[in-house]
Order: sequence, then structure tokens, then C-alpha cells
Amino acid sequence: MSIAGWKRRATPTLLFSFGFSAVAVLFLLMMLVLFLWQSIPVWRHEGFGYLFGKQWFYRGQQFGALPMIYGTVVVAALALVMAALVGIGTAIFIAEFLPSRARLIVKIMVELLSGIPSVVYGLLGVLFLRNWVYAALAHFDPLSGDTLLTAALLLAVMILPTIMTLTDDALRGVPSAQRTAARGLGLTHTETILSVTLPQAAPGVLSAVLLGLGRALGETIAVFLVVGRQDNQWPSNLLSLRPLIESGQTLTSKLGGSETHIAYGDPLHWAAIVGLGLILLALTVAVTMTGIRLGTRKASDA
Amino acid sequence: MRKWKNNVFVAVTGACALLSCGVLLLIVGAIFFRGLPAISWNFFTEQIRLVGAAGGIFYNLVGTLILISTALVVCTPVALGVGLLCGVYGRHSRWRERFMVLLHLLNGVPSILFGILGLIVFVKFFGWGKSWLSGGILLGAMILPTVTIALIERIESLPAKYLEAAAGLGLNTSQIIWSVIVPQSLNGLITGSLLGLARAAGETAPIMFTATIFAGATLPHGIKESPVLSLPYHIFVLAQDSFDPSVGEKLWGTALVMVGMVVLLSLIALPMRLRIHEEAYHP
Amino acid sequence: MKKRTTLEQPVMTTPDHPVLEARNLTVTAGGKTILRDIGFTVQRHQVVGIIGASGAGKSTLLKSFNRLLELNPQFRVQGDVRLSGQSIYAPEVDADELRARIGIIFQQPVVFPKSIFQNVLFGTRHHDKVLRREWPDVVERALGEASLWNEVKDRLHESALRLSVGQQQRLCLARTLAVDPEVILMDEPTSALDPKSTEAIEELILRLKTTRTIVLVTHNLGQARRVADWLTCLSVRDGAGEIAESGCCADILTNPKSDEVADFFLSRKRLAVTPSPM
Repeated sequence: MSIAGWKRRATPTLLFSFGFSAVAVLFLLMMLVLFLWQSIPVWRHEGFGYLFGKQWFYRGQQFGALPMIYGTVVVAALALVMAALVGIGTAIFIAEFLPSRARLIVKIMVELLSGIPSVVYGLLGVLFLRNWVYAALAHFDPLSGDTLLTAALLLAVMILPTIMTLTDDALRGVPSAQRTAARGLGLTHTETILSVTLPQAAPGVLSAVLLGLGRALGETIAVFLVVGRQDNQWPSNLLSLRPLIESGQTLTSKLGGSETHIAYGDPLHWAAIVGLGLILLALTVAVTMTGIRLGTRKASDA
Repeated sequence: MRKWKNNVFVAVTGACALLSCGVLLLIVGAIFFRGLPAISWNFFTEQIRLVGAAGGIFYNLVGTLILISTALVVCTPVALGVGLLCGVYGRHSRWRERFMVLLHLLNGVPSILFGILGLIVFVKFFGWGKSWLSGGILLGAMILPTVTIALIERIESLPAKYLEAAAGLGLNTSQIIWSVIVPQSLNGLITGSLLGLARAAGETAPIMFTATIFAGATLPHGIKESPVLSLPYHIFVLAQDSFDPSVGEKLWGTALVMVGMVVLLSLIALPMRLRIHEEAYHP
Repeated sequence: MKKRTTLEQPVMTTPDHPVLEARNLTVTAGGKTILRDIGFTVQRHQVVGIIGASGAGKSTLLKSFNRLLELNPQFRVQGDVRLSGQSIYAPEVDADELRARIGIIFQQPVVFPKSIFQNVLFGTRHHDKVLRREWPDVVERALGEASLWNEVKDRLHESALRLSVGQQQRLCLARTLAVDPEVILMDEPTSALDPKSTEAIEELILRLKTTRTIVLVTHNLGQARRVADWLTCLSVRDGAGEIAESGCCADILTNPKSDEVADFFLSRKRLAVTPSPM
């Protein structure tokens, strides 16, 4: 659709459009500005120690966010790996090996399931997953079933539908002429998928994975309920797997907790809390922007 | 050898598919079968008693409905404004790209940050305390990307012939917008809204500091200090304590109602959405 | 049939031992019959042309020869197709190995988004145990056979997408030749090309037939006259494609025996005479 010369007179409609669009922009700006401004005290107090400090004792005015950053990153990364492996495999199966009617049914089911609210996932985690993890880890004598691993597992299930649907879209976006040509040369179905379809769908798959990562980083409620909410869990050995089976704290689980309510009276404590929000915002913006860059690159290659 | 590789690959991906579908079916099954016993006419019409152990979820439903309706009212004009900017006025300019980036960024913002923003602005700065209006506004902002992107996609898929015909008849841009574009892209707006509402209905984080409480509220009586009950927060609070079995059953019922709501809204949007989706990918 | 080594020596062909043969071939899709009772023979080192009106099923016939129809589960094939006397639809036959022996070129050249070098090797990498150090030789040979070597030898590692359409089509041919098929199927290979590229491909076909066998679908009678030895005409009867006439190309073109074919030629002549709006 291109009608040359849309007149840009200041009609009421144009003003309406510009005005409300400005509202959207202002909202995002306001969020950024407020978070920056309100967190200033903690940056002054701790400096970069805020990011790298390992201790969080609000009563003692000590604010180190590192264990929470660690928790967030570990939980999200683990969830992503699990969800990506299963999700991409599933998408390949339904896009390539399933007849079209079965594929449509599975797609609709998955779409509907991706709408299940996070609090319901949290409920399932509390009533089932937590106990299963506790039982499975019995050999290691855990304190409870609320661990980083539990949160990661729950998150993986939550982001699985997203990764699956978007990867399926990416695979279907590869022109069928490419597949036919490869088969015509005598490549097997699998060889065609691995040498032609998947490489050409790669940008879309990557962006699906990044979207999943963004969701995993920002998820609050479900993680809050099963991660254990234990502060100052900084592993003595970064490479060991032990922290996974212990309770922990993520940026979101801290923000969703009671400290947020009680912190408001104390400027420093409140700044520390908002600062966590700022870190979280920075992480998700970085992931989103990377996803967008990849998306535009795919479009220009096509 | 190559045939063997082929078969292994099919088996591995098939196993993934089986795992995915299995897990997802288990989830739906658990919610459905455990929640069903709690569902009754009373469940929907009574209010909570005994901290969730008895009674129904009437005011929770009412609260959630108030919140998502407000969100829709708040979100629609902004979505329309941005949609027209990207799809019409700024069609072939940088505006579209810039706003798409903005929308994707907004979409990626964790929901808890909306809650904290609301705490700063509405609860404290405006002095509203907990209010249904803050919840509605925050939810509206949160679902803005969903609604707007659906609308933009719909506007952009409108056949040029309608617009050329209208322009040929001498209508100016505003007239074309309101008499041709908006009516024709209405189903994109509706689809996006339904999906947005489905999402808003299930969110806890934006409203738990700003708009909702666990018990004691019925209908709001103004803006300040007028919280509402809500379905997701209800589940959230009860899920945190170990509770007795009678509460458990009602809890599953609430979860089932929530999921049912989301599924219903998504299902209504589905036929429209499938069509728009296919048009976009396989024109 | 699975290993090519069992057929190293091309069988001496007489009319009783065609390299490719279809018997009572019927193809249906959904409930509709596309091709009915096709009988068809191709002798070694010949160019056989398939002509006919649009919709008669020419492409479908071609794709039934290398079992490419199977990619779409809706198609059902009855009857038999034989390569050097052995049925290609027998259960022990590996369709992927078969397609290494019967190659195919399409109307629109389909080039992979890789370098020219990688494109040429694409098929053969998966089939043969060709050593890495032999790859440059394989590429040079295939491109040479496809008359493309001189034009691209200095830019083998550039993206194949940069080539012109005519060059891309020859690249597709080189890619197929690298796999060393006995038979090459061509589905209107020059329809999308300009006259100069068309001429180049036609010369190529005439050269290739000395070492291989070609089955060519074309809607261009002039092309058929220039390159084909044998001609098969398909026409639609009772809603499905059938063989209307089959015979030596020169004979058919000058003296068609069936009415449908004669009509077809007439309509093509009319099209050729009326200047097409460019």
C-alpha cells in the first residue's frame, strides 16, 4: 500500500496520533529516568561495590547485588538451555515430519498453553515440582525443594511454548524450493534439514531463543515461589554444581518480596531496591535489542 | 548409514515433541481435574470466606474484570495512535522502525518493574495508595505492545485497492483513516485486545503493590485507597503458605477459572489470528 | 540398485532395453487423476522432449521419474517406472540414492545461499566418499561440463547469489553433474532465461547427451526441434493427462498424426507469429 503524498496537515487525527504516540514514548522514558534517579543514593553509597558486592544486609546498610545477579543469570541460562534443546527439537519434528493437520493441532495447543498465567505455573511448582525435586535430590540431602534448579525447571516449561512456536515459524519461512532442490540432489530428509533448512532459519531460531531468554530473565512470580529466596548465596566455587541444588535469590524474587514494601521509608534501602530494578531493566533491554538487531539482519538477507 | 542417521534424527526430535506435549498435557490435566470439583454456580457468585477455605471468588472475578477493562480503555487510544503513526502517516519513514523498537522494548520489560514504577508514581507520588486505577493503567501499558503490533500488522495487510479507491474519490487522509482504514483493521484491534486482555488477566506482579489486596475489598469507591481483589493475587498469596486441603480445592478452582478465562479469550481471537498470520507469512 | 557399483558398465541398449521406462503409470492427487496410463521409453544418450498444453501433467510426469513426487504425501503413484530395467518403486530401493542417478533441473534456478564452490559440491558431499583434497577437481570438472568454468573460475568463493539467472541455471546444472547422474531431468530449464542463456543451455544439452541421457519438458517447439531426438506429447483427455502421440521428433513436428497434437502446434504457431507484447 503506498499512496503517494499523504498530506501532513495538522488535522485532529494527526494530532491524536502524534499525541498518543508521545504518551507511549514518555512512559518508557519515565520508567528509565525514575529508576535511575531513585537509585542514585545506593550508587553513591556503594559505588561499583553495589554490582560486585556479595553481601546484602539491609539492616546493616550493606547492599551487594552480585548473588542476585548470579541467581538470575544461572536460573535463566539453565532454563534456556533446557527449553531451547527440547523446543527446537520439537519444532523441527512438527514442522518437518508431521502431516499438516497434526501440526496445526499441536500449534494451536501450544499457543493456548503459552497463555497460562505465571502464577498458575508457580502454583504447580509449589504443589508438585518442589516435592519432586526434593525427592530426586534426596541423595544430596537438600534443605528443601526450593532451589535454583527448581526455578530453572519451572521457567524452562514456561518458555518452551514461545521457543517452539517461533522456531516453527522460522523453519516454515524457508522457501520450499530450497528443500526440493536439496532432495532432488539426493539428500535425505535429515541432511536437508541440517544443511539447508536449519541454517537458513537460523536468524529466526536465534531470535526465538533470545525472546525466551528475555522472558526467563524477567519472570517474577513463578520464580519467587520456588527459588527459596535465600540471600547471600554466593558459591565458593563458581564452577561447582552445588549452588544449583540450594536455595537462592534472583533479582526478580527479591523485588517481588516484602523488602520492597518496607524499603520505601529508608532512602538508601529504597535506592538499593530500585537499583536492582535498574540492573534487571538493563539486562532485558540488552537481550531485546540483540533480538531486534538479529531480526532486522534476517530481513535484509532475505 | 545415511538412512540410519535419518532415523535417529527423526526419533530424537520425535522424543522432544513427545516430551513437550506430555509435559504440557500433564499441566492442563492437573489444573482441569483438580480444579473441576470446585466449580459450581456458588463458586462464581459468593465471596471468599475463611481465608479461602470456603465461599467463592465473586469479588476476585469482579476485581480482575475491572482491572482488565480499565487496561483496555487506557490502552486502546494509545494503540490506535501509534498504529496510525506507523501504519499510515509514517508508513515509509523511520517512525515505523523506531516505534517497533520501542514496542519490543516495552514488551520485554519484566512485569515486576511495572509494579515498582506504579509504586513510585501512583501509590506514593500521587498519593493514591492502592487503587484499581493504577492497576488498570499499568496493565494497559504492559499490554500496549501486544495490541499495537496486532493492529499495525492488520493495517499493513490492507489491500491497496481500498485506499486507492477512497483517495480517487477525493477523500483526504483523515477521512480515509476513519471511514476505510479503521473499520477494516478493527478485527486486528480486537484480536490484539483479546490477546492483551488474556495476558493482563493473569498478571500478578504489576498489581500486587499497586492495586490489589487479598481480602476485604468489594467494589471500588473512588480512586484513592480503592483496591480490588483479583484472581492471580488470590492464588499468589495462598500459594505461599502451607494450607489445609479445603483451601487447596478452592485454589485449584481459582486456577482453573483463570486458565479458562485466558483460553476463552485466546480461542475467540484464534480464527482471526490464524488468518492474519498466514497472510503475513504465506501471502 | 542401491550401490552404483553394480551397474558400472552401461548396459548396451537396444529398443528392448531403454535406460528409463514408464509402464501404465497413473498418478493421482487427492481424488483427482493427474496422469493416466502413461507408457514412455527413453533410450540411452538421447534427448527426449515432453510437450503439451499447460496443465497436462508434464512436470508431474518428470517428477515421477526420480520419485520427487513423494515429497508431497498427497500424490499416489500406480504402475511402474524402471531405470535400466529395475523398478524404482520397489520397496528395497533407496529414493535418496536413486536421485543421485537421476538428477533434475527446475524452471527457476534454485541456488543455495553459499559460495559457488560450495553449491557445486552440495550434492556430492553427501553421496560420495570424495576426499577433501579432491574437491577442487570435482568442482572444476562439473563447472567445465556445464560451460561455466571460464566465467567463474576466479570467483569460486563468492556468493552464488551474485550470478546472473543464466549463470545460476548453469550452476544448478553443474551441481547436478557433480553427482554424476545417468539421466538428467529438465523441467522447462530455459523458460526464465534470456535468449542468449537459452542458446547456451541448448548447446549444453546437445553436448551432454553424448555422455548422459536427457528428458526435457519444454513448451517451446523451436527448442524441441533444435535439441530433441524423440518427442512425447501429452494432452488432457477426460480430465487427466495421457500420451497423445510419441515418436521421432522430426516426424511428429512435420506430420502429427493425432488431432490434438496438430491443434496444439497450430496454437503455438499462432502465438509465435503474433508479436508478444514486450
